[in-house]
Amino acid sequence: MNLEPTASQAAFRAEVRRFVKERLPTDIRERLRLGHPPRKQDTVAWQRILHEKGWAAPHWPREYGGAELGQAERLILLDEMFRAPAPLPQVFNVGMLGPVLLKFGTEAQKRHFLPKLANLDLWFCQGFSEPGSGSDLASLRTSARREGNDYIVNGQKIWTTTAHLADWVFALVRTDGEGRKQHGISFLLIDLRTPGITIRPITSIDGQHHLNEVFFDEVRVPAGNLVGDEGRGWDCAKYLLMNERTGIANVGLCRERLDYARELAGRLTEAGRPLLESPKLRAEIATLEAEVRALEVTNWRFLLSADTAQKNPGFASVLKLKGTELQQDIAQLLQRIAGPAAMERRPHDGEGAGHWAGPLAMRYFYSRAASIYGGTSEVQKDVLAKTILG
Amino acid sequence: MNFELNDEQLALQDSLSRLLGDVYGFEQRRTIAASAAGWSTAVWQRLAELGLTALPLPASHGGFGGGAADLMPVMRELGKALVLEPYLSSIVLGATAVRLAADEVLQVQLLPGVASGEVRLAWAHDEQGARHAPLWIEAHARQEDGQWVIDGAKCNVLHAPSAHRFVVSARIDAKPGDARGVALFHVDARAAGLACRAHRLVDDTPAGELRFQAVKAQPLGDPRNGAANLRVLEATLAMGTAAVCADAVGTMETAYALAVDYLGTRRQFGRLIGENQALRHRAAEMLVALEMSRSMAVVAAVAADDLDAPGAHADLARAKLVIGRHARAVCHAAVQLHGGIGMTEEYAVGHCLRRVTLIDQLFGDTEAQATRLAAMA
Repeated sequence: MNLEPTASQAAFRAEVRRFVKERLPTDIRERLRLGHPPRKQDTVAWQRILHEKGWAAPHWPREYGGAELGQAERLILLDEMFRAPAPLPQVFNVGMLGPVLLKFGTEAQKRHFLPKLANLDLWFCQGFSEPGSGSDLASLRTSARREGNDYIVNGQKIWTTTAHLADWVFALVRTDGEGRKQHGISFLLIDLRTPGITIRPITSIDGQHHLNEVFFDEVRVPAGNLVGDEGRGWDCAKYLLMNERTGIANVGLCRERLDYARELAGRLTEAGRPLLESPKLRAEIATLEAEVRALEVTNWRFLLSADTAQKNPGFASVLKLKGTELQQDIAQLLQRIAGPAAMERRPHDGEGAGHWAGPLAMRYFYSRAASIYGGTSEVQKDVLAKTILG
Repeated sequence: MNFELNDEQLALQDSLSRLLGDVYGFEQRRTIAASAAGWSTAVWQRLAELGLTALPLPASHGGFGGGAADLMPVMRELGKALVLEPYLSSIVLGATAVRLAADEVLQVQLLPGVASGEVRLAWAHDEQGARHAPLWIEAHARQEDGQWVIDGAKCNVLHAPSAHRFVVSARIDAKPGDARGVALFHVDARAAGLACRAHRLVDDTPAGELRFQAVKAQPLGDPRNGAANLRVLEATLAMGTAAVCADAVGTMETAYALAVDYLGTRRQFGRLIGENQALRHRAAEMLVALEMSRSMAVVAAVAADDLDAPGAHADLARAKLVIGRHARAVCHAAVQLHGGIGMTEEYAVGHCLRRVTLIDQLFGDTEAQATRLAAMA
């Protein structure tokens, strides 16, 4: 047993770090370090730079713009993005839709969409949740009926992250209302410029516009945009959710935020003394770092040891649960370190936007969503409990 | 021991609750928060008509002579409705400092207008370098030709933009952090050399950052009697602490009520989510936290009303600490039980989280209270 990376993994990490250092624009790095979410133009610009190396979609086959990297290299890449910090490759494109198309898509769909996904020529969002179907996703009701060579889509999606920035949505729709609720669901790609689509912003408790409602009123979608077989969309959705595990723990993010917490606590003073002089605060940061180390090693163990994965089929839920909890604890720690300075609500753009404390309270508020999106913590626990108790 | 509200307190709480039910529903609050001022003079007027603005002021100056225990049910109702009006800043903090520090002549001059709600005070004490250290006062006062003037800066001054007068802490002597040399002044909001940068806090409360450049100030009490001024400062902060403890309890009650209601209406997997044992237990834990907090709001009020009693300072710190922890936990749980809807600006539960986060930062946060208590032990 040893915890050292292989020589080639170490070399790869060094190569990525060098590349990021040379190519990541300073203003993007600084914005992210302050805790602002990446802007669309930043994600696009950076993903295109990464794409030159095949690192925008590192796990995809080369013929579609990937680099055919293994799990370990993928995780190293992700880690280094967080560490920089740099925007991550757009997750809906690269981590979710891409793999689904590779597995279920037609050759024509692959040739048409994959290069555009990798280069962010198209920005996809995910249309899964509905007002009555959150944790119980399979109860979704947005319908698609066949009319000649088209589907006609009617219904509503909600919590659609970045729909307002997106060109397309991949959506789960009901093509058949009979039988078990998981049956009769289909996976459709929909151009958001199609007539009949309305996008309404949802402002979240951090005062930001990340989320949207998307309404479909007699929206005509070419049948060629169906991915996989009609009525088998649930297979695509399950595959998509299972496939997106490498980054689920967000270890690199936890690390980067804790480094920032240390940096801030060393700089800020209370009554003339640096906050970091407090043994209690130092112990608190150290405790979180210890937890993050455990998560990091667990992430590697699950990725690299087939044995572990077989013994614990719920491992993705282990990573999601613990990763979420740590992200939230760390966001809260940063809010407390910012203290009274983060009492003031500061806009992300405009006057006061550059203030260091501005994003920290807001980011803490939004961190509460981490245990809700991508399967709530309650759903993750149900999944785990089922693997334990049946 | 007696934990009951008396008849007058109950009657006032009841009237306030009905008034806020009429004028401070969540949608009405959103409209008020989105307005230019960020609070409503019409609502303020109604609070004054109920006698709330006079409640803790001396009977000799248009008030009812109420204490922290009388304020407790009021603050709880204000917290429940997430009220944005300048009650804490003017009536609890500003008026307490004036009542305790000023002589009769000055009280006659300042307090009747405050009691009627026409004049609003703001408490300008916190400074950037202080964080949670109450005596870290860098603002400095000196005499120029017999006139006191203040230099310095104050941050996160609640309702600064609409205040008529500021109650300002400043040093005439000793270094920041020192218990000696502290004095209190009142300053006209339009005084020359005083600049206010208006902003909002994370819970939407209007606030301001003040800069004083040789601003003319009138003393509250004798600036050279540092010991007396320190007592006023501590008593004012104690009243504020007890008030926000009650406010946080009211806010928690709203978050709790929303969550319980949602558990009983939201269906997933063919049944009410409140039928899931895990979520039922979550609600039970919230209730435990809420009951601990209700108790500590009483503890804080009793302590603030008798600050010289043994253990009063420790009890205040304990109350702020316990409520700070539990308020966060209850609001986290309430958001989580709602799922996505709990994360939205247009739903109240997220605003509860924002308000208790803000309250935690006032008068020393949870960790600062623990540190204070450790130092007392």
